[in-house]
Amino acid sequence: MAAGKRLLLGDDQPSIGEALIKAMDMSPADVVFEVRESDIRGRGGAGFPTGIKWNLAGAASGDHKMVICNADEGEPGTFKDRVLIEKMAWKLLEGMTIAGYAIGSSHGIIYLRAEYPYLVPILEKARQDLISQGLLGDDIQGRGFSFNIEIRSGAGAYVCGEETSLIESLEGKRGEPRNKPPFPVNSGYLARPTVVNNVETFAAVPHILLGGAEWYQGLGRDDCSGTKLFSISGDVENPGVYELPMGAALRELLELSGAKDIAAVQVGGASGSTVTPDELDKPMSFSALPPGGSVVVFNSSRDMLDVLENFMEFFVHESCGQCTPCREGNRRLLDIIRSIRAGEIASRDDLKPFFLLADVMKAGSKCGLGQTSPNCFVDIITKFIAFPGDKEGA
Amino acid sequence: MSRTPEEIVRASLEKHGSGREAVMEILTDVNRELGCIPEEAIIATASAVGVSNAEIYSVVSFYSFFSIKPRGRHIVRLCSTISCVMSGSAEVLEAVRDDLGIREGETTSDGRITLETTSCIGLCDQAPAMLVNDEPHTRLTPETARAIIAGLE
Repeated sequence: MAAGKRLLLGDDQPSIGEALIKAMDMSPADVVFEVRESDIRGRGGAGFPTGIKWNLAGAASGDHKMVICNADEGEPGTFKDRVLIEKMAWKLLEGMTIAGYAIGSSHGIIYLRAEYPYLVPILEKARQDLISQGLLGDDIQGRGFSFNIEIRSGAGAYVCGEETSLIESLEGKRGEPRNKPPFPVNSGYLARPTVVNNVETFAAVPHILLGGAEWYQGLGRDDCSGTKLFSISGDVENPGVYELPMGAALRELLELSGAKDIAAVQVGGASGSTVTPDELDKPMSFSALPPGGSVVVFNSSRDMLDVLENFMEFFVHESCGQCTPCREGNRRLLDIIRSIRAGEIASRDDLKPFFLLADVMKAGSKCGLGQTSPNCFVDIITKFIAFPGDKEGA
Repeated sequence: MSRTPEEIVRASLEKHGSGREAVMEILTDVNRELGCIPEEAIIATASAVGVSNAEIYSVVSFYSFFSIKPRGRHIVRLCSTISCVMSGSAEVLEAVRDDLGIREGETTSDGRITLETTSCIGLCDQAPAMLVNDEPHTRLTPETARAIIAGLE
């Protein structure tokens, strides 16, 4: 079965600067319109429509608008942005420059996670190359539009993948999420109107402009638009990054990567969902199975309680501690996981208060971390763990 | 030849300016060169940026890659998240611990190596993986990890 067209990492790439020049032949409003019509939604995981974000930032009052690239992929099992930067750094920079033109910004920042220091020279070289070709910097192509990009480093905090934490970190503060509203499009970095998009989102922009919104939209499946990069690892023969239509069935990715003896699949990282072999035909779409960037496969030799414990240790470590439901809730869930391991929990019914706690965490946490960290607990306990007191077949 | 914390902060200020938004860059420069962020660097950063020492300390303490405590000349960060664990990172950790005679979070008595475990470092397709300072090392086995670490000066 044909996997569909590969844009982001395909062999057939547009020439560098082609999309930017095309964009500058259009009005900024038309560029925003094209991106909006393409229906592309944020590739970092949350899936906010990119065109709407650009429209809001473009229309916001305030000078010195900012374009920020979130290169802080920290979701367990995600490495697509690393590969994209290694292979196509220019495309990310060009996408940011187009965003700058579209919203009326002359300043971009890439927030690169501390775990990727070896990508700094790659980004730096791509930046210099674009500057020397007159595609970045002052007065680009003599059109009177200037755009500069800075590369800045994080320091090891998963929560900084959340856009307001990321902004706090860029401002030299602890990476604690902000209250919203105001949203970054109105008041972001240094209280300026700010667009924050994922690496992959920016890298898709040149393709959207060159191919057109309608064409891009047609590349997706199941009411999704465009293509998507998936990082797959765990019990597969060929782990790596695969590009498929957004909305492709999970099964298609598993077949491509050589997954066998599948007992469970984690889709969307530790904060995503854990699916059973019965659910593999679900589309990886925002409405059915939001994929983020990460898919991890577990074969029948794996103990899913080990997996759950590892995920929850991760969340306990990475919670910023600001919201009590998240800070204390993750600890409580980890404690009870260890009690299950010790055989101290007779039946699923004994866990009722912890399912309630999971609901409280989802409702009472300020950012995506605490809102999604209980997902793996609910999914794995419900679908994969047997208790001594369970009825036959549970 | 080695620079004092104050000298590193001063050089960093020249590159990144003295706005509050330069703080992460300054701290990263200090942390990379000295392996930690000593009190002198916190004080120098705070006074340059115009905030209290406590404010800078609170930033330093937030991020996993920053350390107040002195660390070794080399920092080994072995991934302890799921894909690396499934590929044998626990065995690699045990081998390294045995070889160095330290546990994670500790530094060898000769000041050569600090061993840490870390959340996902995005090398899941080449698991198990670790960072040694800024260099990634992938598809580790207990043997290759031992050899890499033995080769550090």
